[in-house]
Amino acid sequence: MNIEAPKTTLTDATVRRIAFLARLAMSDSEVSKAKEDLSTIFSHIDSLLSLDTKHVEPLDHPTELLNHVRDDDPTGTLSQEQVLMNAPSVKDVYFDVPKVLKEQT
Amino acid sequence: MTTLSIQDSYNAFHEVWDASQPSNGPLNDFTIGVKDNIATKHGTTTCGSKMLEGYKSPFNATVIERLQDAGAVLVGKTNCDEFAMGSSTEHCAWGPVLNPWDTTRVPGGSSGGSAVAVAANMCRAALGSDTGGSIRQPAALCGIVGFKPTYGTVSRYGLVAFASSLDQIGTFTQNVEDSAILMDVIAGYDELDSTSNPSELSSFTNQLHTPVTNLRVGVPSQYRSDEIQTSIREAIESAIETYASLGATIVDIELPLTDVGISTYYILAPAEASSNLARFDGIRYGHRTEEKCEDLIELYSKSRSEGFGSEVQRRIMLGTYVLSSGYYDAYYNNALKVRRMIVEEYKTAFKSCDVVLGPTTPTVAFKIGEREDPLSMYLNDVYTANTNIAGICGVSIPCGLSEEFGTPLPIGLHLQAPWHEDSKLLRIAQMFESNTDFHLQKPDAFQC
Repeated sequence: MNIEAPKTTLTDATVRRIAFLARLAMSDSEVSKAKEDLSTIFSHIDSLLSLDTKHVEPLDHPTELLNHVRDDDPTGTLSQEQVLMNAPSVKDVYFDVPKVLKEQT
Repeated sequence: MTTLSIQDSYNAFHEVWDASQPSNGPLNDFTIGVKDNIATKHGTTTCGSKMLEGYKSPFNATVIERLQDAGAVLVGKTNCDEFAMGSSTEHCAWGPVLNPWDTTRVPGGSSGGSAVAVAANMCRAALGSDTGGSIRQPAALCGIVGFKPTYGTVSRYGLVAFASSLDQIGTFTQNVEDSAILMDVIAGYDELDSTSNPSELSSFTNQLHTPVTNLRVGVPSQYRSDEIQTSIREAIESAIETYASLGATIVDIELPLTDVGISTYYILAPAEASSNLARFDGIRYGHRTEEKCEDLIELYSKSRSEGFGSEVQRRIMLGTYVLSSGYYDAYYNNALKVRRMIVEEYKTAFKSCDVVLGPTTPTVAFKIGEREDPLSMYLNDVYTANTNIAGICGVSIPCGLSEEFGTPLPIGLHLQAPWHEDSKLLRIAQMFESNTDFHLQKPDAFQC
C-alpha cells in the first residue's frame, strides 16, 4: 500500500512547531514567509508520493561499503586549548554559558 | 613567503593567502583555491556563513594534507553558498560571486568561488564539494571542467558536513588532465573517513590519453527535454555527433526517474542537513547571540536564527519537517525507497552503455536575483542530483557557447559513469576534449 500524502497544508502553528524543534527563532512575518516557501516546495515534492514503492526497501546509503572503525587504541586528540579556541565565551578552562538554572517559584 | 598577486574583481575569494614555499612535489606548478567549507589550519573556515565568521580550524582536511605534501601552493579560501546550500553563490554571507563571462550573471553554485577562480585564471585549479551538483553546475556555467568522483573516493574528513550520504569533494580545472593529476594525489583510502573506499585505485593519469575502445554512450530521452534551452540542446546533439565520429556507439536509453530526482534530493539532503547543522548551538564554537536569554533553548534558537541565512534556515525547517513524527514514513522513508529505485535504474542503464551523456544544466548562467523563488533555484540541479543520490561519478566539461542572450555563455556536457569507474570517465571526457577546443574558450577579459 502506498502511504497516503499527509495533505501538507501548512499552518502557522505547524511552522512554529517545526521552528521550535529546529531551534530557530522566528518572527510572525518570518513564519508567514516560511509557510509560503515550504508550501511551494512541498507542492513539488509531493509528486514523489505517486510512485509505487510498496515492495522497495529503503536505501540509506549510496554505496555497498561497510562502515569501518579503527582499532580501539588511544591516538592523538585535540588539546584543551584547541578545543576552546573558537568558543564564543570561555571562563578558565570551561565553555561559559549564561545561567540556566532558575530559582523555583 | 611568496605573495601571490590575485586581482579578485568577482568576489571569488573570501581570503587570499600569502603562499608559503611548498615542499618539493609533483604539484609544485599548481596554485589551488580551496572552497571555504574545507577545513584548513591556515586562515579561517567560514562556510560562507556568519555562523562561522572567524572560525579557525584546529586541523587540516585530509585533502589539504595531501595537496601540501605533494607541493601544491594553496592560495586561499573561495566563496560559496552558505554551508554549500545553493545553486548560484548568491547566498553567501560575504556577498555574491560574479560570473566572469557576464558579471550581471551568477557563476552557479554552491562552489561558485572555486569555479570563478579557475575560469578567471586566478589559480590553476580549485577544490569544491558536490552534494547535488555543486561542482558540476558551476563548472558548466563558467566554462571549465568540474569533476565529482564516486562517493567515498576522496576523503570527506575536514569537509564541513551538509548531507553526509551525498557530499563528495572534487576538482575544478581548466582541462581534464589537470583533474586527473589532482585526483592521483587526493583520491584514496583515508582511515579518518569511515565511508572512505578501501579499494586500491588505479592511476587517473596513466591511461588518460588512451581512448576507450568499443565505447557505448547512452543518451536518455529524458535528457533531450524541450525544457532545455535551445542552444544547450544543439550543443549536446553536436557532442553526441563528436563521440559518434570517434567510433562510439550511441545508445538510446531511459532514465524515467530523472524528474523525481529533485523531489528525492530535497527530502534527503535537508533531512541530513537538519541533523548535521544541529551542532551549531552557540556554545562551543560559532555565533552566539548577544541578546539576553531566559534559558538555553532561547540561547540556541536566537544564536541559530542570527547566524544562519535564510536558505540554510529554510532547509533546516524542511529537513526537520520530513523527519518529524507523522511525516517520516511519507517523506523521508519514501525518499529512501526512491533512492534505491534510482540506483537500480542506473544499474540497468549501465548494462547497455559505459557512460550516460546529457546537459549539465537546463539553462546557461542566469541573472543575479532572477530566481528568488527557492523551487526555481532547486530545479537547476535536475540533471545532477541523481548522480549524488546514486553515489556514482560525474564530470562536466565545456561543449560550446550559447549566443542566445547577447553575450557568449558557456554550456556544460555532463558525463556520468558507474561506481568506481572514475578514471575511465575522465578518459572518456579526455576523448572529447582532445577533439574539440571548447575548453580553450575564455571570457573576453582573459583572451590572450
